[in-house]
Amino acid sequence: MREKILYVLGIVALLILAWNINAIARLPEETQQGVTFKIIFFHVPMWAAAMTAACAALLASVGFLVTKNFRFDAAAVAVTEVGLAFTTVGLVTGSIWGREIWGIWWTWDARLTSALVCWLLYAGYLMLRKAIEEPTQRATFAAVFSIFAFIDVPIVVFSIKWWRTQHPQPVFWAGGSFPPDWTTHFLWNMVAMLLFGIVMVAVRLRQEEAQREIDSLRRTAHAQ
Amino acid sequence: MNVISLVAQLVSDAERLQHQYEFLSYGLTAAWVILVIYVLMMVARERKLKREIASLRAMLEERR
Repeated sequence: MREKILYVLGIVALLILAWNINAIARLPEETQQGVTFKIIFFHVPMWAAAMTAACAALLASVGFLVTKNFRFDAAAVAVTEVGLAFTTVGLVTGSIWGREIWGIWWTWDARLTSALVCWLLYAGYLMLRKAIEEPTQRATFAAVFSIFAFIDVPIVVFSIKWWRTQHPQPVFWAGGSFPPDWTTHFLWNMVAMLLFGIVMVAVRLRQEEAQREIDSLRRTAHAQ
Repeated sequence: MNVISLVAQLVSDAERLQHQYEFLSYGLTAAWVILVIYVLMMVARERKLKREIASLRAMLEERR
């Protein structure tokens, strides 16, 4: 039953995305940036999903350190991995947009640099997990590292407010706005990305459960 | 003269639009390719875990 719900949610997310690509393609050009601007419809929802995943990873890591319950550890690794995939897409789509609008693939401004540091930190989190064999030690070290890594998340989000950056100012919380039909498509993409993220996290959580079952079976085999 | 400049303007607009669509398609393709690769990695990991559980269970059954 749980699997069927996941498949249905995944298909709904993909259908929304596919329908939205068609709808976004029909929207008129933006006056300054032309059609390249439409990358924002994927770039921003990816980052929103990635930052949501980072917040969830922080909560799960704190949850593990407080309760020592391994379900929190599984949740932390699941959301971090999915969040890292979204962060990768956010960085790549942003870079492609920058190449067309700025004429460069990359610049070391505060937003881009903090975003890259965020990617490196969460990639480091996953590498750290691979490096430690003992489960309790692995979960504890990883939780502490995840809390440390979260320090970068507000820097990524607010860097464009705190410093003068080449990255554009936010459209929605700096007085700017979209035409209403653009906002609708943007929000649908946001919903689809979050839905897709939830499905991926649920699948990844199931894999962590399977990994725990394997560990337990191995211990039983070793004891016999 | 006016017709020539109008045609030149239209050609330049068409070229600009084509260039921009090219970059928009790169962005969309990159986004989908990365997500599809990640989904395929998840599917491969799922299969590997299922195989491992099945083989461990079979081994434990044999020992009993």
